[in-house]
Amino acid sequence: MEIKLTIGEKKELKEFLSNLTVKEMLELLDVPSETVVVKKNNRIVIDEELLEDGDELEVIQVIYGG
Amino acid sequence: MDSCDKCGNPQIIIKMKRSGQKLCRECFIEATREKVLHDIRKYKLVDKGDKVLLGLSGGKDSVMALEILNNLRERHIIDLVAVTIDEGIAGYRQEGVEIATRNAEILGVEHRVVSFKDCFGFTLDEVMKNDAKNNRSRHACTYCGVFRRWIFNMVAKEEGANKIATGHNLDDETQSILMNYLEGNIQNLTRIGPKSESKNPNFTVKIKPLREIPEKDIGLYVVANDMEVHFAGCPYAGESFRAEIRDFISELSVNHPTIMYSTLRGFDKIKPAIKREFSGEAPTGTCVQCGEPASGDLCRACSFLKLWSDD
Ligand SMILES: [Zn+2]
Ligand SMILES: [Zn+2]
Repeated sequence: MEIKLTIGEKKELKEFLSNLTVKEMLELLDVPSETVVVKKNNRIVIDEELLEDGDELEVIQVIYGG
Repeated sequence: MDSCDKCGNPQIIIKMKRSGQKLCRECFIEATREKVLHDIRKYKLVDKGDKVLLGLSGGKDSVMALEILNNLRERHIIDLVAVTIDEGIAGYRQEGVEIATRNAEILGVEHRVVSFKDCFGFTLDEVMKNDAKNNRSRHACTYCGVFRRWIFNMVAKEEGANKIATGHNLDDETQSILMNYLEGNIQNLTRIGPKSESKNPNFTVKIKPLREIPEKDIGLYVVANDMEVHFAGCPYAGESFRAEIRDFISELSVNHPTIMYSTLRGFDKIKPAIKREFSGEAPTGTCVQCGEPASGDLCRACSFLKLWSDD
């Protein structure tokens, strides 16, 4: 499946295997889920949210490491 | 199927760590705001008629604190003034100052920007360069803390504010407890809490309305509320003991999700005993240079200024 991914200023189209949750995708991207808020198709979702082909995902880093 | 425990909305945005409660956007915002207002009452952080000075950096914590304290201002319980300190950190602070200014403007809260440059004649960047030249290796946070405190106290006096509020959150507070405990700074532990008072009448009371809100929830609150905040790390934060402690606690939190609450609760229970045994020795004098509280002739800010003028 293809996901439109926005992380900070960076926008890209990314290919993933189907049936991923937000949490699993963040793990693949190496982003600690405790430091971000994720919006799917412009609304905030929890870690267990399932992703589908064509979803737009925005990852907002809200906690910055020192 | 997950749905909001309060209103049944199927679009939940959080499963709360402490209570296990699932909440939608509206109910999360409402519950979080209520929790902070509840803590303000519970710990008697403000009294009717107080004038509160809020340190507003433009970051998520202080912007959330601004919104909630403004709620008390609109209900005519307190008077509120926000101050943003521009330490002079190139490429970082300017955006925070602009965002702070816009947030204060939207809510109609009186706002002042005070810079290190105007107050002391130098920027933090200049101090750090000067230190490097003179082979000193103090952490930028040391200076920043000392001079920010000085400015807060000074502005509070100018504005006639009797409380100084900061956006410290649960993560900050838990880190401070553990750091001071592990380093054996028991004296510092006596000063940690929702409200710090001093015997020195020169000190303005400090309050922390967000002390029991996890940092992640504050991030979620401002995003859910569509507030404009400055999400960026200070370039001087670097690797510090606090950063190591933060990583350690967040690692523990994976298998023990409520560890920060229990650390805070346990500390609050033993604090009266620690205070009985170890308080005292707070600066009781007055700086001969500026009139701020000091343990010797000079306060820490004036001591640094003297050191640099001797360079
Ligand atoms: Zn709800
Ligand atoms: Zn002084």
